[in-house]
Amino acid sequence: MADPILEFRNINTHYGAVHILKDVNLAIYPGEMVCLLGGNASGKSTTLKTLLGMVTPTSGEVVLDGEVVNDKPTSYRVERGITMVPENRRLFKRLSVLENLQLGAYLREDKQGIESDLERIYRMFPRVKERLSQKAGTLSGGEQQMVAMGRALMAQPRVLLMDEPSMGLAPALVQTNFELIQQIHEEGIAIFMVEQNANMALSLADRGWVLQTGRVVLDDTAESLLANPDLRKSYLGDAGGH
Amino acid sequence: MTTAVKAKGSKKTGVDKFLTLLRFLLIGAIAIGLIAFVWQQIDPNNPFARWRNPDAQPLTAEQIKGLVVTGLSQGAMYGLIALGYSMVYGVLGFINFAHGEVFMLGAFTGFVTSNKLADAGLWEGGAFIPSVIMTAVLAALIATGAAVLMERVAYRPLRGSPRLIPLITSIGVSFFIQNAVILLFGPGAKGYPPNPEWLQKKRRFDLLGDAFAFEVEGTKLLVLVVASFSMAGLWYFVERTKTGKAMRAVAEDKEIASLMGINVNKTIVTTFAVGGAMAGIAGILWGLLFRSVIATTGFLPGIKAFTAAVVGGVGNLGGAMAGGVSLGTAEALAPLMLLEPLGVAGPTQLRDAVAFLLLILVLLVKPTGLFGERLSSEDRA
Amino acid sequence: MKKLMKLLSVIFALSLVAAACSDDATTDAGSDTTAADGGGDAGYLGDGSLGEVTVEAGGAIQIRSLNAITGDVAFLGLPNQRGVEQAIADYGQIKGFDVDMGVGLDDLCSADGGQAAAQSIVADEQVIGVIGTSCSGAATAAAPLIGNAGMVMISGSNTSPALTSDQQGNAGPDYSVGYYRTAHNDLFQGAAMAEYVFNELGLTTAAAIHDGDPYTDGLATAFTNAFTELGGEVTGYSAVAKEDTDMVPVLTEIAAGSPEALFFPIFQPAGDFIADQVGSVSGLENTQLFAADGLLVDGFLELPQSEGISFSGPDTRFGENKNESTGVNANQFLETYEAANGEAPSAPFWGHSYDATAMLLDAIAAASYTDGDNLVIDRAGVREYLNGIKGYSGIIGTINCDDFGDCGSQKITIIEHLSSSDLDASKANVKFEYAP
Repeated sequence: MADPILEFRNINTHYGAVHILKDVNLAIYPGEMVCLLGGNASGKSTTLKTLLGMVTPTSGEVVLDGEVVNDKPTSYRVERGITMVPENRRLFKRLSVLENLQLGAYLREDKQGIESDLERIYRMFPRVKERLSQKAGTLSGGEQQMVAMGRALMAQPRVLLMDEPSMGLAPALVQTNFELIQQIHEEGIAIFMVEQNANMALSLADRGWVLQTGRVVLDDTAESLLANPDLRKSYLGDAGGH
Repeated sequence: MTTAVKAKGSKKTGVDKFLTLLRFLLIGAIAIGLIAFVWQQIDPNNPFARWRNPDAQPLTAEQIKGLVVTGLSQGAMYGLIALGYSMVYGVLGFINFAHGEVFMLGAFTGFVTSNKLADAGLWEGGAFIPSVIMTAVLAALIATGAAVLMERVAYRPLRGSPRLIPLITSIGVSFFIQNAVILLFGPGAKGYPPNPEWLQKKRRFDLLGDAFAFEVEGTKLLVLVVASFSMAGLWYFVERTKTGKAMRAVAEDKEIASLMGINVNKTIVTTFAVGGAMAGIAGILWGLLFRSVIATTGFLPGIKAFTAAVVGGVGNLGGAMAGGVSLGTAEALAPLMLLEPLGVAGPTQLRDAVAFLLLILVLLVKPTGLFGERLSSEDRA
Repeated sequence: MKKLMKLLSVIFALSLVAAACSDDATTDAGSDTTAADGGGDAGYLGDGSLGEVTVEAGGAIQIRSLNAITGDVAFLGLPNQRGVEQAIADYGQIKGFDVDMGVGLDDLCSADGGQAAAQSIVADEQVIGVIGTSCSGAATAAAPLIGNAGMVMISGSNTSPALTSDQQGNAGPDYSVGYYRTAHNDLFQGAAMAEYVFNELGLTTAAAIHDGDPYTDGLATAFTNAFTELGGEVTGYSAVAKEDTDMVPVLTEIAAGSPEALFFPIFQPAGDFIADQVGSVSGLENTQLFAADGLLVDGFLELPQSEGISFSGPDTRFGENKNESTGVNANQFLETYEAANGEAPSAPFWGHSYDATAMLLDAIAAASYTDGDNLVIDRAGVREYLNGIKGYSGIIGTINCDDFGDCGSQKITIIEHLSSSDLDASKANVKFEYAP
């Protein structure tokens, strides 16, 4: 396998005096789909924020393309192809759909590339094209999810972090949503997904980690995770889930 | 999606009744005042006028137009200052009370520059236009610098603390700047050199026929034109440029904005800078129109501009401008068109009261301001 | 909860309105002391009814200067304070004791400022008297506090009729015992202006604008009353706020009555804006402008738009008048003043303040006796002396104190301002003289 794009080496983070992530090791390789599972307060959001540079680790190294980027701002990592579709989508509701998409390409200077990427997104989500001049806040949940993905794609990511992509979506949309993720993945973009819906996530992913109170307790292929009885019990709904 | 269920009881509380009464009283008083004014215009000796205001004299059309023009030009300046309040509020969610002092610094820069230019004989004739442009640019630069410095020194270290803290800090900054100016220039009023004849001259506009002909002094016309262009320029900047989009994005969600690769700190500085430039331009216009500045010049226009920003809907740029213009016009017109017919003595002395009453009225009828949007928690979710 | 917030915000805004509307608070004059007579048998004035002040050997007699020394009106207060300083220096010791003015206090030209300063003055029981305030508005708040503490206050530049009497034997609403002034009473200034406008210039309609300050309101009222009495018609009486810059509304209100004369006895900077904007209001093209001593200052006269305005003010042609207590005349005073301050006085009341100080020091001399190494001053005696002043020669002329503290010479002159580049010529261009 090629070298990993993004790596955690013995990462520890603190929020005030609270120790959140404890000696976490992760690696995301080009083009793969991985998922991070864990219950509430297990440190999933902190993992994402640390990957993006919104949280600075207290010890350990965040490595991007072989370079330690602990002190680099978010924009540095976005420029190098790391971006995220945040939980609940968090569009700029008072900005138009088009402006939301354009902001995704904020760091890019290649006008033509931006134009052709826009076209690509219109092809991918024809409904978005119909609503370009509307304020993003007026769209339905499913449409907002499309804009959020489009916005992230406009950054030309190599790794797309997805924070709870099916959260807040109507059940009927969840399936479509995962199909979209699959579609993006097929374009060669590595996907790092944080998801409560572990069944669905693992059925798509190549590998997965399970985080418990800030510590990685399981690190395995998706198939073996799906088969893991402990995991089935706590995350896959065999015992009623949580 | 989480939707909070609002308990919409039909029961009216005492507070509700009080607010309704207040609304009713204010609107009623305005209606009666307006009717009294119209009646007084038609017949100064009507029974109501004889009862309330025996010395009543009708205003001539020229006089009413003069009031409108003065109100508009005053309002345009309020609007320009209000933009800064509104933008900073939009991005950081606190009211920068020192913004009035930024305006004052612009006016003082103009005082220094204009007098230097006048000494060199460049404040008259054809040299006046390049001189004014130079003065305006300089004032905008100084005001911008002051605003940026203020952000860096006083507000950035407080980022993330409760809103009350930068608010109180801004009051301190305001005192600091006022006193620094007193130290530099002394406490007295400082005069601008006289404007050239051709600018002071009244100009007649009769595009809509004689009945609607307007006579405007060149200075006020200049204020209106420059304010309109500045506003248009700002609108273009905020709505059409990449930096403008970044500003709006930061205003809405700093975390996601930084996820887009936007440098949030830089964008906040830009916001202060642009607001400062607008205030600097307003300062120059103020100087050209009133030709006198004093260390406390920024206080009252600052408070009024803040009022204008709230009236227009804080965080909304068009609203800030509209709020400023309506506030200025109301201040100029209401004393003579509402208060005097009701028999209030010395009505023009009450212009500040008029401004704040307008604020109350708008808050009562539309609590988000004229153009404000409601940003509730479910909107954010 | 939301409702409550809304209500609170409305109340807050209402309170802003109230603050914007409210006049400066005035304190009513308490008068629980009576001027004493007798006591002369011990060789000094006073009967001890207001208490005595003992100045210990080596100590100094404490008086205070309370004038507007910062802000817009510092031009008025600074010469007053310097007048006090020079008078103390010229007067020398009283019975071997130095006189100490302390640090010059600031009345901020407002009721609030006057009240705050007066409170700090009365907290020091050694203080005998105060020279000040500069502004009538400050005096309305300061005079009762100082009077109630048994001290006296002599102003060199308060002119509001409310502070003394209506000159018909009735105390003004703000009069308090222990208050004196060497400045004129504006009833005379208003009458002088009315006579000039009506009789000399033959104008029959007039309007007046004040700024809510007791000085400007009192003078504008005195003018309109005198003008009506002479047979003229007052077409408008209005007010500006001190901080106003856009005068078009108030001028439009005045223009509705088309007056031939407009009297605006206010201060800078509001006065600048009126002079500047009067030309832009339709209906006032032929109106003549008149102002008073508040604007009779170089800063205003230097403005081109002030040309053609006539000003009333105290007669400052002091000539060879000599203060009888110090022997100093106006020219000697001005020489010292300019040497010390590098400029001529910026307002005309330095002489009034000088005479006021000399009178106070005379009163202290007359109401004190030495007790061993100490000097004892009888507060009631100080008032007794001031009440009895008749025919005192000061720099400003002959000084007589009436029953309500008016001691000034009451001579008013009216000048017409010709050229903003030659102020001395304008100041000497006296068109009208008035003496009661």
